Amino acid sequence: MRTKEECLIRYKDGNLYCELADIWIDPSKPVKKALITHAHFDHFTFGCEEYISTKETAILLKERVGDNIKIKTFEYGEEFKINGINISFYPSGHILGSSQIRFIFAEEKWLISGDFKLQKDQTCKQYEIVKTDYLISECTFGLPIFKWDESNKIANDISKWITNSPEKTSLLFCYSLGKAQRLLNEISQTNFKGNIYSHGSIHKMNNSYRELGIDIKDTIKIENKKKIDELKGSLILLPPSLSKGSYLKNFKNIQTAFASGWMSIRALRKRSGYDKGFAISDHADWDGILEVVKKSEAKNVFFHHGDSDALSKYLVEKESINVLLFGK
Amino acid sequence: MSLKKFSELFGDLDSINSTNNKIEVLKNYFLSNDPIDNSWAIYLLTGKSNKRFISGRYLKNLFSQIYEYPEWLIDTCYLKVGDSAEVITLLLKNKTNSRKKKLSNIGLNELLSETIPALSKLNEENKNLEIKNLWETLPEDNHLIFNKILTGTFRVGVSIGLITKSISKLINIEEEIISHRLMGDFKPSIDSYEFLINKNINLQELNSKPFPFLLANTIEDKIFKNSINDFQFEWKYDGIRMQLIKRSGNVSLWTRGQELVNESFPELVEKMSHIKDDFVLDGELLVWNFKEQIAYDFSLLQKRINRKSPSRSIQLKYPIIFIAYDLLEINGRDIREIKLENRRIELEKYFSKWQNKTENNISDIFKICDLIFPKNWPNALTYKEKSRENNTEGLIIKKKTSIYSSGRKKGIWWKYKVDPMQLDAVLIYAKGGSGRRAGLYTDYSFALWKDQELIKFASAYSGLTNIEIKELDKWIRKNTIEKFGPVRSLKPEMVFEISFEKIQKSKRHKSGIAVRFPRITKWRKDKKINDADSLENAYELMKKIS
Repeated sequence: MRTKEECLIRYKDGNLYCELADIWIDPSKPVKKALITHAHFDHFTFGCEEYISTKETAILLKERVGDNIKIKTFEYGEEFKINGINISFYPSGHILGSSQIRFIFAEEKWLISGDFKLQKDQTCKQYEIVKTDYLISECTFGLPIFKWDESNKIANDISKWITNSPEKTSLLFCYSLGKAQRLLNEISQTNFKGNIYSHGSIHKMNNSYRELGIDIKDTIKIENKKKIDELKGSLILLPPSLSKGSYLKNFKNIQTAFASGWMSIRALRKRSGYDKGFAISDHADWDGILEVVKKSEAKNVFFHHGDSDALSKYLVEKESINVLLFGK
Repeated sequence: MSLKKFSELFGDLDSINSTNNKIEVLKNYFLSNDPIDNSWAIYLLTGKSNKRFISGRYLKNLFSQIYEYPEWLIDTCYLKVGDSAEVITLLLKNKTNSRKKKLSNIGLNELLSETIPALSKLNEENKNLEIKNLWETLPEDNHLIFNKILTGTFRVGVSIGLITKSISKLINIEEEIISHRLMGDFKPSIDSYEFLINKNINLQELNSKPFPFLLANTIEDKIFKNSINDFQFEWKYDGIRMQLIKRSGNVSLWTRGQELVNESFPELVEKMSHIKDDFVLDGELLVWNFKEQIAYDFSLLQKRINRKSPSRSIQLKYPIIFIAYDLLEINGRDIREIKLENRRIELEKYFSKWQNKTENNISDIFKICDLIFPKNWPNALTYKEKSRENNTEGLIIKKKTSIYSSGRKKGIWWKYKVDPMQLDAVLIYAKGGSGRRAGLYTDYSFALWKDQELIKFASAYSGLTNIEIKELDKWIRKNTIEKFGPVRSLKPEMVFEISFEKIQKSKRHKSGIAVRFPRITKWRKDKKINDADSLENAYELMKKIS
């Protein structure tokens, strides 16, 4: 087994780092060069000298944080070289523009899965199976109790939830980027034909998606002074940060729900404080992670993001796959 | 009618917070389903069906066996989910989606009255095969209900009160009548449902059933503004609240939990059946120290509760008494609507009549509660403080003019409990919670000092706010010394004020003491572990009380 220093990619100061290329992956503090897998804020930090990402990720990031950052972009599958290391992006199916990143050096392949899902999502490119020797995978939902339903089933449940209470305003909380657009896309294919409003942060992302050629239903930007009667029977998409505190006082006679993979567990659903939970996620479920591990043909696997003890033990015992520990 | 409808009802009730909406959903369910399914729904939702056909452990092992899943993996999942039935339900999603078998369309009634009871008659091998078959043929939406019924863990936020309200709305009859009909043994059947929704009130059918209990509220300061003479004062006993009923010669003993417990206390049933009058009495069952005329500890009563047809020697070892607080019905006359002070006069009158019968001496098993007569409120407080001396929990204060209505009616009965005993203790272990608290460390163990060592003395689960639980959970994860399965030993650093009701010697515990109803009453962030109490303090407390 190799020492930490001998690995092409390793943990340094809590972040993924490739020393030979002197490049960081989704770093949490300012560095010289940063590869960005996707435009969620927990994968981005201000102050890096240079960012490298897919074209879509770059556009979404600039929309969110302003034009004041220097981003170099590459297409999916396009190879580029840094210090003799071949690097390329592949679709990870998480949100629009999200990518896996593959490194090849001295015929050895390393793959960082990024945040990924295998489920169908009409708002972004499908996950692409990439072969590798070393796999660094996320493990957010690394237990077999997580098994996602088809997203159209969830969308139908949401539609029923709204139409069953026509006298109420239905507030659906979800992440502004990715989840909201996927839900909009799915909900527009259900029987629910009422008005859909969205919070400014979501509205902005909807527009960006549309400009990038994704089919997203037009929503009405929610204004604070909307008349209560007009909202009856309609759906409002809001970011989770607004679920607590005074914002909800703007509405009367509401029902609330949260769209997240964690909502598949009753105890978490009850504790969340929302009336209802819809278990839909942009991360892979247990089977999804296993499939990627197997199809990537990786002989060595590392996990980060989430509690990977059970998954690691399972792979070692049942699949005889070498699971390595990253020293954080 | 299909099981699907009931699964939907379960899902709806689970995700609705408003009481009125729950009632509406229930009412609609009752309107749109068969009487037999309705009766099963009531049976399940009110928790009358806590029979466990197989244990959660058995269910997990069976799943592990059939689908070749390592047990440790299922146990890890359990820590996150907190309910065996739900863990297996979630895991089944991974296993049964590719099935080819035709889905069964079994109804709620068939499942509950035939399929599941038949399971218990099978040998282990066939039972396992049948459960596997049901897993594979039941639609996915029904797995949770099925697993929960199997493991006897069917609980959802629906109280008898909610069922009562929705039936009452459905047929437009007062809640009291419905809750009367729902009392006691509810056997699911078309008849029992139709009896429930019968618009004609038939008194004879209600004959063996108890009245809804009237409960006391925690004392409020405003009561002290009233004249002390407006109230009746009783000791608050720590036994089993019961109604003792004799109608048309038959005696029934009903607990507040709506269980008929005649079989556990045959000597009481026998004695009371010789009384000539018919009656309904509200009172408390206790194991009684006849020499000193005080109650024994509740733990002795526990030795009687679950034992049916106790032997003569058990009856002598744990002698029981029924202490009557109130007379609700006498010779067919419902007197709940007359004032408490007048009911008390009737109670005393009949008691002395029954007592004077020499051929049936009831005084070795029955008495009426003694009243206390404090001169003023400070004097009442003194009585309350004395309550530990006679093994009671404080006082019950009842408005003399109150009628006997049902439930926790405000402003007529109060409990004035003696202040809890308290010690400051150090948190040393934490365990993952279950149910709603799954995934969080919510079961705590606390220790007291013995010289330089911390000795565990109590475990507590309740008392912290949700915010505090989350904060403590975070701290626990950062300050774990060792993990033993679901339990973590912790760096001794946090001090909590633990309150409890009773303290006594115990050989079973390393600390040598056992406390009753321990709970967290304050997170003493202001205290260092050296400020925590010692076992010595606990022993002193025990001495002071006895």
